[in-house]
Amino acid sequence: MQPSGKYKIGDAVMVATENPAGNPRTPKYIRGKRGVIGIVHGVLENIRDHRGVHGPLYTVRFDLSELSTCSDPDSIWVDVHEEWLSTVKSDS
Amino acid sequence: MSGKHGHSHKPFEGHMHDFEAHIKAVEEDLEYYRAKRFEPRIIYLLRRGMVTFYDLLKIRAALKKKDHFFKVKKLRGKNIEARVRFLEEWLDEYVKGIALVSARTVEGLDMVTEDNRKERGDYDDFFKIKKKEHHGTLEERMVNVEQDLRDYQELLEVFVHALIKRGWASRTELEQRWKQLHEERPWAGGVIVAKAWTDPEFKQALLSTGREALREMGVHQGKVGKLVVVENTDKMHNVIVCTLCSCYPYDILGDTPWWYKHESYRTKIVQNPRACLREMFHLEVPASKEVQVYDSTSDVRYFVLPQRPAGCEGMSVDELAKLVTIDSLIGAGYALEPERQKVAEKSGALPEAPRIRPD
Repeated sequence: MQPSGKYKIGDAVMVATENPAGNPRTPKYIRGKRGVIGIVHGVLENIRDHRGVHGPLYTVRFDLSELSTCSDPDSIWVDVHEEWLSTVKSDS
Repeated sequence: MSGKHGHSHKPFEGHMHDFEAHIKAVEEDLEYYRAKRFEPRIIYLLRRGMVTFYDLLKIRAALKKKDHFFKVKKLRGKNIEARVRFLEEWLDEYVKGIALVSARTVEGLDMVTEDNRKERGDYDDFFKIKKKEHHGTLEERMVNVEQDLRDYQELLEVFVHALIKRGWASRTELEQRWKQLHEERPWAGGVIVAKAWTDPEFKQALLSTGREALREMGVHQGKVGKLVVVENTDKMHNVIVCTLCSCYPYDILGDTPWWYKHESYRTKIVQNPRACLREMFHLEVPASKEVQVYDSTSDVRYFVLPQRPAGCEGMSVDELAKLVTIDSLIGAGYALEPERQKVAEKSGALPEAPRIRPD
Protein backbone atom coordinates (compact mmCIF):
# COMPACT_ATOMS: atom_id res chain seq x y z
CA MET A 1 0.00 0.00 0.00
CA GLN A 2 1.21 3.47 -0.85
CA PRO A 3 0.21 6.45 1.24
CA SER A 4 0.15 8.69 -1.83
CA GLY A 5 -2.97 10.41 -3.07
CA LYS A 6 -4.24 13.87 -3.83
CA TYR A 7 -6.72 14.24 -0.99
CA LYS A 8 -6.56 14.22 2.78
CA ILE A 9 -9.14 13.62 5.48
CA GLY A 10 -11.67 16.46 5.60
CA ASP A 11 -11.26 17.58 1.97
CA ALA A 12 -14.53 18.43 0.23
CA VAL A 13 -14.95 16.45 -2.98
CA MET A 14 -17.44 15.85 -5.74
CA VAL A 15 -17.99 12.54 -7.56
CA ALA A 16 -17.94 12.62 -11.36
CA THR A 17 -21.22 11.86 -13.13
CA GLU A 18 -19.53 9.64 -15.64
CA ASN A 19 -16.06 8.19 -16.04
CA PRO A 20 -15.86 5.37 -18.58
CA ALA A 21 -12.18 4.70 -17.87
CA GLY A 22 -12.55 4.64 -14.10
CA ASN A 23 -13.19 1.76 -11.74
CA PRO A 24 -16.70 0.47 -12.52
CA ARG A 25 -17.59 0.07 -8.85
CA THR A 26 -18.73 3.62 -8.24
CA PRO A 27 -22.45 3.31 -7.56
CA LYS A 28 -24.90 5.52 -9.43
CA TYR A 29 -26.50 7.04 -6.34
CA ILE A 30 -23.34 9.01 -5.45
CA ARG A 31 -22.49 10.27 -8.92
CA GLY A 32 -22.50 14.06 -9.12
CA LYS A 33 -22.82 14.28 -5.32
CA ARG A 34 -20.70 16.12 -2.77
CA GLY A 35 -18.96 14.56 0.19
CA VAL A 36 -15.95 14.79 2.43
CA ILE A 37 -12.90 12.50 2.53
CA GLY A 38 -13.37 10.27 5.59
CA ILE A 39 -10.64 7.63 5.26
CA VAL A 40 -7.52 7.59 3.05
CA HIS A 41 -6.56 4.08 1.95
CA GLY A 42 -3.90 4.72 -0.70
CA VAL A 43 -3.37 2.27 -3.54
CA LEU A 44 -4.64 -1.20 -2.65
CA GLU A 45 -3.57 -4.24 -4.56
CA ASN A 46 -6.19 -6.92 -4.74
CA ILE A 47 -5.03 -9.40 -7.33
CA ARG A 48 -7.78 -11.90 -6.67
CA ASP A 49 -10.32 -9.25 -7.49
CA HIS A 50 -8.91 -7.44 -10.47
CA ARG A 51 -6.09 -7.75 -12.91
CA GLY A 52 -5.01 -4.10 -12.90
CA VAL A 53 -4.23 -1.77 -10.01
CA HIS A 54 -6.54 1.20 -9.61
CA GLY A 55 -5.70 4.67 -8.33
CA PRO A 56 -5.71 5.63 -4.64
CA LEU A 57 -8.88 4.75 -2.77
CA TYR A 58 -10.84 6.89 -0.31
CA THR A 59 -13.87 6.35 1.85
CA VAL A 60 -16.01 9.41 1.25
CA ARG A 61 -18.58 10.56 3.79
CA PHE A 62 -21.85 11.88 2.37
CA ASP A 63 -24.65 13.50 4.31
CA LEU A 64 -27.68 11.29 3.89
CA SER A 65 -29.67 14.34 2.73
CA GLU A 66 -27.21 14.86 -0.16
CA LEU A 67 -28.08 11.40 -1.55
CA SER A 68 -31.67 10.87 -0.58
CA THR A 69 -34.92 12.68 0.21
CA CYS A 70 -34.53 11.49 3.80
CA SER A 71 -33.43 14.34 6.07
CA ASP A 72 -32.21 12.33 9.09
CA PRO A 73 -28.84 13.66 10.28
CA ASP A 74 -27.10 10.41 9.29
CA SER A 75 -24.33 9.62 6.84
CA ILE A 76 -23.37 7.20 4.09
CA TRP A 77 -19.72 6.23 3.63
CA VAL A 78 -18.71 4.95 0.21
CA ASP A 79 -15.38 3.75 -1.21
CA VAL A 80 -14.40 5.82 -4.24
CA HIS A 81 -11.23 5.85 -6.34
CA GLU A 82 -9.35 9.10 -6.91
CA GLU A 83 -10.08 9.26 -10.65
CA TRP A 84 -13.77 9.76 -9.84
CA LEU A 85 -13.19 12.72 -7.52
CA SER A 86 -12.64 16.44 -7.94
CA THR A 87 -12.06 19.20 -5.43
CA VAL A 88 -14.98 21.33 -4.23
CA LYS A 89 -14.23 24.81 -2.98
CA SER A 90 -15.60 25.21 0.50
CA ASP A 91 -17.73 28.28 -0.34
CA SER A 92 -19.30 26.90 -3.48
CA MET B 1 -42.92 -14.79 8.02
CA SER B 2 -43.74 -11.90 10.28
CA GLY B 3 -44.03 -8.22 9.43
CA LYS B 4 -45.92 -6.43 6.74
CA HIS B 5 -42.94 -5.57 4.57
CA GLY B 6 -42.26 -8.96 3.17
CA HIS B 7 -38.64 -9.31 4.24
CA SER B 8 -38.83 -9.04 7.97
CA HIS B 9 -36.11 -11.00 9.60
CA LYS B 10 -35.74 -11.69 13.28
CA PRO B 11 -33.82 -14.90 13.69
CA PHE B 12 -33.11 -14.69 17.39
CA GLU B 13 -36.61 -14.21 18.60
CA GLY B 14 -38.04 -16.49 15.99
CA HIS B 15 -38.42 -20.16 16.74
CA MET B 16 -37.62 -23.14 14.62
CA HIS B 17 -41.39 -23.37 14.41
CA ASP B 18 -41.53 -20.31 12.20
CA PHE B 19 -41.28 -22.66 9.22
CA GLU B 20 -42.27 -19.98 6.73
CA ALA B 21 -39.22 -17.92 7.65
CA HIS B 22 -36.95 -20.93 7.36
CA ILE B 23 -38.29 -21.92 3.95
CA LYS B 24 -38.12 -18.31 2.76
CA ALA B 25 -34.43 -18.25 3.75
CA VAL B 26 -33.78 -21.53 1.91
CA GLU B 27 -35.56 -20.29 -1.24
CA GLU B 28 -33.70 -16.98 -1.28
CA ASP B 29 -30.31 -18.51 -0.58
CA LEU B 30 -30.77 -21.32 -3.07
CA GLU B 31 -31.55 -18.91 -5.91
CA TYR B 32 -28.73 -16.59 -4.88
CA TYR B 33 -26.13 -19.36 -4.93
CA ARG B 34 -27.42 -20.78 -8.20
CA ALA B 35 -27.82 -17.54 -10.12
CA LYS B 36 -24.89 -15.56 -8.69
CA ARG B 37 -22.32 -18.10 -7.63
CA PHE B 38 -22.72 -21.29 -9.61
CA GLU B 39 -24.25 -20.82 -13.05
CA PRO B 40 -22.15 -17.73 -13.87
CA ARG B 41 -19.11 -19.91 -13.24
CA ILE B 42 -20.25 -22.50 -15.78
CA ILE B 43 -21.05 -19.77 -18.30
CA TYR B 44 -17.64 -18.17 -17.67
CA LEU B 45 -15.94 -21.43 -18.63
CA LEU B 46 -18.31 -22.15 -21.53
CA ARG B 47 -17.54 -18.75 -23.05
CA ARG B 48 -13.86 -19.51 -22.95
CA GLY B 49 -14.13 -23.07 -24.20
CA MET B 50 -12.66 -24.43 -20.97
CA VAL B 51 -15.69 -26.65 -20.46
CA THR B 52 -18.31 -27.18 -23.16
CA PHE B 53 -22.00 -28.07 -23.28
CA TYR B 54 -20.95 -31.30 -24.96
CA ASP B 55 -18.67 -32.25 -22.06
CA LEU B 56 -21.66 -31.83 -19.77
CA LEU B 57 -24.01 -33.86 -21.98
CA LYS B 58 -21.61 -36.74 -22.40
CA ILE B 59 -20.76 -36.88 -18.74
CA ARG B 60 -24.41 -36.81 -17.72
CA ALA B 61 -25.15 -39.73 -20.03
CA ALA B 62 -22.24 -41.83 -18.76
CA LEU B 63 -22.42 -41.00 -15.06
CA LYS B 64 -23.05 -43.97 -12.76
CA LYS B 65 -24.51 -43.54 -9.32
CA LYS B 66 -21.50 -45.17 -7.67
CA ASP B 67 -19.20 -42.51 -9.15
CA HIS B 68 -21.22 -39.64 -7.71
CA PHE B 69 -19.16 -37.11 -5.81
CA PHE B 70 -22.03 -35.80 -3.70
CA LYS B 71 -24.15 -38.10 -1.58
CA VAL B 72 -27.62 -36.83 -0.79
CA LYS B 73 -28.59 -37.45 2.81
CA LYS B 74 -31.72 -39.37 3.69
CA LEU B 75 -34.70 -37.63 5.22
CA ARG B 76 -35.08 -38.62 8.85
CA GLY B 77 -38.63 -38.30 10.08
CA LYS B 78 -41.69 -37.07 8.28
CA ASN B 79 -42.81 -34.18 10.41
CA ILE B 80 -42.47 -30.69 9.08
CA GLU B 81 -39.51 -29.76 11.28
CA ALA B 82 -37.50 -32.74 10.05
CA ARG B 83 -38.29 -31.83 6.45
CA VAL B 84 -37.26 -28.20 6.93
CA ARG B 85 -33.96 -29.27 8.54
CA PHE B 86 -33.43 -31.72 5.71
CA LEU B 87 -33.77 -28.96 3.10
CA GLU B 88 -31.46 -26.67 5.08
CA GLU B 89 -28.79 -29.35 5.35
CA TRP B 90 -29.12 -30.16 1.69
CA LEU B 91 -28.70 -26.48 0.81
CA ASP B 92 -25.55 -26.41 3.00
CA GLU B 93 -24.13 -29.31 1.04
CA TYR B 94 -25.00 -27.66 -2.27
CA VAL B 95 -23.23 -24.46 -1.22
CA LYS B 96 -20.17 -26.39 -0.09
CA GLY B 97 -20.24 -28.10 -3.48
CA ILE B 98 -20.08 -24.73 -5.21
CA ALA B 99 -17.20 -23.74 -2.92
CA LEU B 100 -15.49 -26.95 -3.98
CA VAL B 101 -15.37 -25.81 -7.60
CA SER B 102 -14.49 -22.20 -6.79
CA ALA B 103 -11.42 -20.39 -8.05
CA ARG B 104 -9.70 -21.03 -4.74
CA THR B 105 -9.74 -24.80 -5.19
CA VAL B 106 -9.32 -24.94 -8.92
CA GLU B 107 -6.47 -22.49 -9.40
CA GLY B 108 -5.84 -23.42 -13.02
CA LEU B 109 -9.10 -21.70 -13.93
CA ASP B 110 -7.52 -18.29 -13.32
CA MET B 111 -10.83 -16.59 -12.70
CA VAL B 112 -10.74 -12.98 -11.60
CA THR B 113 -13.66 -11.66 -9.58
CA GLU B 114 -13.83 -8.45 -11.62
CA ASP B 115 -14.57 -10.34 -14.86
CA ASN B 116 -17.01 -12.57 -13.11
CA ARG B 117 -18.92 -9.61 -11.63
CA LYS B 118 -19.24 -8.01 -15.03
CA GLU B 119 -20.42 -11.18 -16.71
CA ARG B 120 -22.96 -12.09 -14.03
CA GLY B 121 -24.59 -8.66 -14.29
CA ASP B 122 -23.47 -6.87 -11.12
CA TYR B 123 -23.26 -3.62 -13.07
CA ASP B 124 -25.85 -4.26 -15.74
CA ASP B 125 -29.20 -5.96 -15.21
CA PHE B 126 -29.12 -7.09 -18.82
CA PHE B 127 -26.65 -9.85 -17.93
CA LYS B 128 -28.32 -11.07 -14.77
CA ILE B 129 -29.49 -14.65 -14.52
CA LYS B 130 -33.13 -14.57 -13.55
CA LYS B 131 -34.02 -15.87 -10.12
CA LYS B 132 -37.11 -17.98 -9.63
CA GLU B 133 -40.05 -16.62 -7.72
CA HIS B 134 -41.78 -18.77 -5.16
CA HIS B 135 -45.50 -19.04 -4.68
CA GLY B 136 -48.06 -21.36 -3.16
CA THR B 137 -48.68 -22.99 0.17
CA LEU B 138 -45.84 -23.94 2.48
CA GLU B 139 -46.27 -27.55 1.41
CA GLU B 140 -46.03 -26.68 -2.29
CA ARG B 141 -43.00 -24.50 -1.69
CA MET B 142 -41.21 -27.28 0.19
CA VAL B 143 -41.89 -29.74 -2.62
CA ASN B 144 -40.59 -27.19 -5.14
CA VAL B 145 -37.43 -26.47 -3.19
CA GLU B 146 -36.71 -30.17 -2.92
CA GLN B 147 -37.08 -30.62 -6.67
CA ASP B 148 -34.88 -27.58 -7.33
CA LEU B 149 -32.19 -28.90 -5.02
CA ARG B 150 -32.28 -32.22 -6.85
CA ASP B 151 -31.91 -30.50 -10.24
CA TYR B 152 -29.26 -28.00 -9.17
CA GLN B 153 -27.23 -30.66 -7.41
CA GLU B 154 -27.28 -32.81 -10.53
CA LEU B 155 -25.80 -30.05 -12.66
CA LEU B 156 -23.16 -29.46 -10.00
CA GLU B 157 -22.33 -33.17 -9.96
CA VAL B 158 -21.92 -33.23 -13.73
CA PHE B 159 -19.86 -30.02 -13.66
CA VAL B 160 -17.42 -31.47 -11.11
CA HIS B 161 -16.85 -34.45 -13.36
CA ALA B 162 -16.34 -32.15 -16.35
CA LEU B 163 -13.60 -30.28 -14.46
CA ILE B 164 -11.90 -33.57 -13.69
CA LYS B 165 -12.29 -34.84 -17.23
CA ARG B 166 -10.85 -31.67 -18.75
CA GLY B 167 -7.92 -31.80 -16.35
CA TRP B 168 -8.74 -28.64 -14.34
CA ALA B 169 -8.77 -30.58 -11.10
CA SER B 170 -8.04 -34.08 -9.86
CA ARG B 171 -10.51 -36.19 -7.93
CA THR B 172 -7.96 -36.60 -5.10
CA GLU B 173 -7.53 -32.83 -4.75
CA LEU B 174 -11.27 -32.32 -4.74
CA GLU B 175 -11.82 -35.05 -2.17
CA GLN B 176 -9.26 -33.46 0.11
CA ARG B 177 -10.86 -30.03 -0.21
CA TRP B 178 -14.30 -31.57 0.36
CA LYS B 179 -13.09 -32.91 3.70
CA GLN B 180 -11.69 -29.49 4.66
CA LEU B 181 -15.00 -27.87 3.81
CA HIS B 182 -16.66 -30.09 6.42
CA GLU B 183 -14.26 -29.32 9.25
CA GLU B 184 -15.96 -27.53 12.08
CA ARG B 185 -14.44 -24.56 13.84
CA PRO B 186 -15.83 -21.92 16.17
CA TRP B 187 -17.28 -18.88 14.42
CA ALA B 188 -14.53 -16.27 14.16
CA GLY B 189 -16.98 -13.38 14.55
CA GLY B 190 -17.82 -14.30 18.14
CA VAL B 191 -14.19 -14.98 19.03
CA ILE B 192 -12.93 -11.67 17.61
CA VAL B 193 -15.61 -9.48 19.18
CA ALA B 194 -15.40 -11.15 22.61
CA LYS B 195 -11.65 -10.55 22.61
CA ALA B 196 -12.12 -6.93 21.60
CA TRP B 197 -14.58 -6.45 24.50
CA THR B 198 -12.12 -7.83 27.04
CA ASP B 199 -8.71 -6.78 25.72
CA PRO B 200 -8.39 -3.02 25.05
CA GLU B 201 -5.01 -3.37 23.41
CA PHE B 202 -6.35 -5.90 20.93
CA LYS B 203 -9.38 -3.72 20.27
CA GLN B 204 -7.16 -0.77 19.45
CA ALA B 205 -5.08 -2.92 17.10
CA LEU B 206 -8.21 -4.31 15.43
CA LEU B 207 -9.62 -0.85 14.82
CA SER B 208 -6.38 0.58 13.49
CA THR B 209 -4.83 -2.35 11.58
CA GLY B 210 -7.72 -4.69 10.68
CA ARG B 211 -6.44 -8.02 9.44
CA GLU B 212 -3.00 -7.54 11.00
CA ALA B 213 -4.53 -7.74 14.46
CA LEU B 214 -6.10 -11.11 13.67
CA ARG B 215 -2.79 -12.78 12.90
CA GLU B 216 -1.68 -12.89 16.52
CA MET B 217 -4.87 -14.42 17.83
CA GLY B 218 -4.68 -17.30 15.39
CA VAL B 219 -7.91 -16.47 13.59
CA HIS B 220 -7.88 -17.11 9.87
CA GLN B 221 -6.91 -13.73 8.46
CA GLY B 222 -8.45 -14.03 5.04
CA LYS B 223 -7.22 -12.32 1.92
CA VAL B 224 -10.09 -10.50 0.35
CA GLY B 225 -9.48 -6.74 0.37
CA LYS B 226 -8.54 -4.44 3.23
CA LEU B 227 -10.43 -5.01 6.47
CA VAL B 228 -11.89 -2.02 8.30
CA VAL B 229 -13.70 -2.55 11.61
CA VAL B 230 -16.13 0.20 12.63
CA GLU B 231 -17.00 0.56 16.30
CA ASN B 232 -20.47 1.19 17.68
CA THR B 233 -20.61 3.65 20.59
CA ASP B 234 -23.23 5.54 22.56
CA LYS B 235 -23.14 8.19 19.83
CA MET B 236 -22.70 6.07 16.72
CA HIS B 237 -24.50 3.14 15.17
CA ASN B 238 -22.71 1.65 12.18
CA VAL B 239 -24.27 -0.47 9.46
CA ILE B 240 -22.65 -2.16 6.49
CA VAL B 241 -23.94 -2.97 3.03
CA CYS B 242 -22.68 -3.60 -0.48
CA THR B 243 -25.05 -1.82 -2.84
CA LEU B 244 -23.37 -3.28 -5.94
CA CYS B 245 -23.29 -6.95 -5.02
CA SER B 246 -22.73 -8.49 -1.58
CA CYS B 247 -19.15 -7.72 -0.53
CA TYR B 248 -18.45 -8.68 3.07
CA PRO B 249 -15.41 -10.12 4.91
CA TYR B 250 -16.81 -13.59 4.26
CA ASP B 251 -13.32 -15.07 4.18
CA ILE B 252 -13.11 -14.37 7.92
CA LEU B 253 -16.74 -14.41 9.04
CA GLY B 254 -18.46 -16.84 6.69
CA ASP B 255 -21.45 -15.88 4.60
CA THR B 256 -24.12 -13.33 5.48
CA PRO B 257 -27.83 -14.00 5.98
CA TRP B 258 -29.82 -13.98 2.74
CA TRP B 259 -31.31 -10.52 3.22
CA TYR B 260 -27.85 -8.90 3.05
CA LYS B 261 -27.69 -9.93 -0.61
CA HIS B 262 -31.30 -9.02 -1.30
CA GLU B 263 -32.11 -5.95 -3.34
CA SER B 264 -34.62 -4.66 -0.81
CA TYR B 265 -31.95 -4.29 1.89
CA ARG B 266 -29.29 -3.00 -0.50
CA THR B 267 -31.59 -0.28 -1.80
CA LYS B 268 -33.38 0.83 1.37
CA ILE B 269 -30.45 0.98 3.75
CA VAL B 270 -28.81 3.85 1.84
CA GLN B 271 -32.07 5.68 1.16
CA ASN B 272 -33.52 5.70 4.63
CA PRO B 273 -31.35 3.76 7.07
CA ARG B 274 -33.48 4.22 10.18
CA ALA B 275 -36.70 3.19 8.45
CA CYS B 276 -34.94 0.19 6.92
CA LEU B 277 -33.61 -0.97 10.30
CA ARG B 278 -37.01 -0.47 11.89
CA GLU B 279 -39.04 -2.21 9.20
CA MET B 280 -36.75 -5.09 8.37
CA PHE B 281 -35.19 -5.81 11.76
CA HIS B 282 -37.43 -4.05 14.31
CA LEU B 283 -34.36 -2.12 15.38
CA GLU B 284 -35.08 1.41 16.60
CA VAL B 285 -31.86 3.43 16.75
CA PRO B 286 -32.22 6.21 19.36
CA ALA B 287 -32.10 9.79 18.08
CA SER B 288 -29.03 10.36 20.26
CA LYS B 289 -27.00 8.20 17.88
CA GLU B 290 -25.83 9.01 14.37
CA VAL B 291 -26.34 6.19 11.89
CA GLN B 292 -23.36 5.66 9.59
CA VAL B 293 -23.83 3.29 6.68
CA TYR B 294 -20.68 1.88 5.05
CA ASP B 295 -21.07 0.80 1.43
CA SER B 296 -18.31 -1.67 0.43
CA THR B 297 -18.01 -0.67 -3.18
CA SER B 298 -14.36 -1.43 -3.71
CA ASP B 299 -11.42 -3.16 -2.05
CA VAL B 300 -12.42 -2.54 1.55
CA ARG B 301 -14.47 -5.03 3.57
CA TYR B 302 -16.18 -3.82 6.72
CA PHE B 303 -17.67 -5.29 9.81
CA VAL B 304 -19.22 -3.65 12.84
CA LEU B 305 -17.83 -4.03 16.35
CA PRO B 306 -21.05 -4.10 18.39
CA GLN B 307 -21.31 -2.63 21.89
CA ARG B 308 -20.91 -5.00 24.79
CA PRO B 309 -24.41 -5.63 26.16
CA ALA B 310 -25.42 -4.86 29.72
CA GLY B 311 -25.47 -7.63 32.30
CA CYS B 312 -22.44 -9.60 31.16
CA GLU B 313 -19.91 -8.53 33.76
CA GLY B 314 -17.59 -11.31 34.80
CA MET B 315 -18.45 -13.56 31.87
CA SER B 316 -15.62 -15.52 30.23
CA VAL B 317 -14.50 -14.84 26.67
CA ASP B 318 -16.17 -18.08 25.52
CA GLU B 319 -19.47 -17.09 27.11
CA LEU B 320 -19.25 -13.58 25.65
CA ALA B 321 -18.63 -15.01 22.17
CA LYS B 322 -22.10 -16.61 22.31
CA LEU B 323 -23.73 -13.19 22.63
CA VAL B 324 -22.36 -12.06 19.29
CA THR B 325 -24.82 -12.51 16.43
CA ILE B 326 -24.22 -12.36 12.71
CA ASP B 327 -26.70 -9.49 12.48
CA SER B 328 -24.82 -7.46 15.09
CA LEU B 329 -21.66 -7.52 12.95
CA ILE B 330 -23.65 -5.98 10.09
CA GLY B 331 -25.36 -3.44 12.31
CA ALA B 332 -28.82 -4.95 11.81
CA GLY B 333 -29.01 -5.87 15.47
CA TYR B 334 -27.25 -5.59 18.81
CA ALA B 335 -25.24 -8.25 20.58
CA LEU B 336 -27.60 -10.29 22.76
CA GLU B 337 -28.07 -9.63 26.44
CA PRO B 338 -27.28 -12.81 28.40
CA GLU B 339 -30.91 -13.36 29.35
CA ARG B 340 -32.05 -13.19 25.75
CA GLN B 341 -29.26 -15.49 24.67
CA LYS B 342 -30.41 -18.11 27.19
CA VAL B 343 -34.00 -17.94 25.98
CA ALA B 344 -32.91 -18.21 22.35
CA GLU B 345 -30.65 -21.16 23.12
CA LYS B 346 -33.47 -23.00 24.88
CA SER B 347 -35.90 -22.53 22.01
CA GLY B 348 -33.36 -23.72 19.47
CA ALA B 349 -33.44 -20.35 17.71
CA LEU B 350 -29.71 -19.71 17.91
CA PRO B 351 -27.95 -19.72 14.59
CA GLU B 352 -25.49 -22.35 13.56
CA ALA B 353 -22.14 -21.29 12.13
CA PRO B 354 -22.72 -19.31 8.95
CA ARG B 355 -22.19 -20.96 5.62
CA ILE B 356 -18.99 -20.71 3.69
CA ARG B 357 -19.36 -18.39 0.71
CA PRO B 358 -17.98 -19.78 -2.53
CA ASP B 359 -15.79 -17.24 -4.28
